[in-house]
Amino acid sequence: MLHSDIKSRPIYTQLEPDLSGSQHLLIVEGDTVLPGRLDSLAGTFAPVEEQLHTWLVGTQAGGLGLGKVWRLPDVADVVDAFACATRGYGIGDRLYVQGTEPFLWSVAKAAAIIGFSADQIHLHHAGSLRRRVWCTHCHTVTENVTTSIASCAGCHRHLLVRDHFSRRLGAFMGVMVDAEAPGEVPAVEENFA
Amino acid sequence: MSIAFKPEETFRGDYSYRNSDAAVLRFPFPFPEDRYMYSVNIEPHVRSGPSDVFLRPFDVDEHYIAECRDKAITLERDPGRCQVLPHMMMAQWDTLELLMESLSADYPEQFSLIKEGDDFGSRWTWINRPLGIEQSFIFGNAETLPCEPFEYITRQAQGDFAICDQRDDNLYMDAGMVTSQADWSLEFDVGMSFMEWHGPVPLAHQSGVFERALKYLLMLRLGQPVRRLNWTMSINPRLDTSPESYPEWGPDRASVTPDNAGQKVHLRVELQTLWRLPRSNAILFPIRCYLASLEDLARVPKWGARLHRVLSSLPPQLVEYKGLTRYLPAALEWLAQHDDGRELPVGTEAGITTLSPR
Repeated sequence: MLHSDIKSRPIYTQLEPDLSGSQHLLIVEGDTVLPGRLDSLAGTFAPVEEQLHTWLVGTQAGGLGLGKVWRLPDVADVVDAFACATRGYGIGDRLYVQGTEPFLWSVAKAAAIIGFSADQIHLHHAGSLRRRVWCTHCHTVTENVTTSIASCAGCHRHLLVRDHFSRRLGAFMGVMVDAEAPGEVPAVEENFA
Repeated sequence: MSIAFKPEETFRGDYSYRNSDAAVLRFPFPFPEDRYMYSVNIEPHVRSGPSDVFLRPFDVDEHYIAECRDKAITLERDPGRCQVLPHMMMAQWDTLELLMESLSADYPEQFSLIKEGDDFGSRWTWINRPLGIEQSFIFGNAETLPCEPFEYITRQAQGDFAICDQRDDNLYMDAGMVTSQADWSLEFDVGMSFMEWHGPVPLAHQSGVFERALKYLLMLRLGQPVRRLNWTMSINPRLDTSPESYPEWGPDRASVTPDNAGQKVHLRVELQTLWRLPRSNAILFPIRCYLASLEDLARVPKWGARLHRVLSSLPPQLVEYKGLTRYLPAALEWLAQHDDGRELPVGTEAGITTLSPR
């Protein structure tokens, strides 16, 4: 569980079914599932199993009966699946997502585009603390950042990863660390492993 | 009222921006006491106060033309400084109406608004003499303007503007025109809730300042705008101190010495006002930036001494957050010569009506 006093970052909670929903979609980033944990999720979602679809993404983590199970190779396929959804999602739908923070927000953003409102979406952070970092200068997104300072994938500046989070971008802010004294880059720390 | 505009001055490159004596004397100096800490310092935005900048709801001063030009340069380089989420069209028209009505009523020599009716569908003609603009359009029909109404009118106004949509007992920053900001990114913050966009501010969250401010603002009423002053410091009179352009202006912070601090270091004061908008129920949040060098400020003896004391006693978290760390010692050394330790009266008034010659 991720504890943080970063005001702009949401508080992530354990997943449990919202019984006011009529259709439930659980999307799990496979390699964030610890051994045995999928069984426990299955137990948690047992009350809604008849109305549950589970999308397992990436590394396969056991094959359990969490409602109807669909396997997708990558988070990009989840985004595509939403974008091409032929069935309309409505106010009865509930979305539950488990994964790393970049995974959660990739899915949440794609769901918002097709009409999911914030209170229909439940996010649970699990696995690595790695961050997606948005460069304030060139606006490129750098994925899988685990260090306090990272090189921007776009402009290659050394970015200090600030504790300021945008849900719209699903990313933390990165600001050039040596703008005031070029070349003066502090020691890099592994903070978000 | 005629205004002696200085259309050629610049806020970048050679930084030829200067304050006249009158502009120094009307500077909205923000420190009533020798120490500074965050507070919910919100008061009614009435047409009076310790500085002339409070006399009109939207202050227009000698820098108007140059500042609008600097805004156009920034927008040309980075169009993302103006962003409006799609559900904000009603609030855009509210903003245009408020600004056009206020400016034309308070500055009739400079601005005129001719309306054939008050409602959507009426033909309006807007005349902006300092910028040489005359535009007829249909109020409520965005296609009759050269760009969307919020961008159109805020390009012709000094300072930044955000519009906060009110829903779920919260405020969301769902539109903005932000070209003279103190190091925050509209592109990053757009769509955020009140607590989210204030997330990085140190110390104030713990003392409950933001909860109280939000509660107050949610009850803001039409026709009863409020205001507060905020402040930071900038090296050179630069309006565009955005994080986007930080690689350009960051190195200036390393260029300050006790000898040049008087000219280089500027106090940057934001007059922030908040307005309930009539049709959208959103809140318009104009952030008007005033810049004065330490040299300017020290010409008012009370201000020079007080600024020295405030900056000497600033909590380290604020020094860091406001980005002063690298040059504060040089600024303090320069200011020390203007502080003889005498007791200063409480209040922000200059206390004098003329300045001694430079």
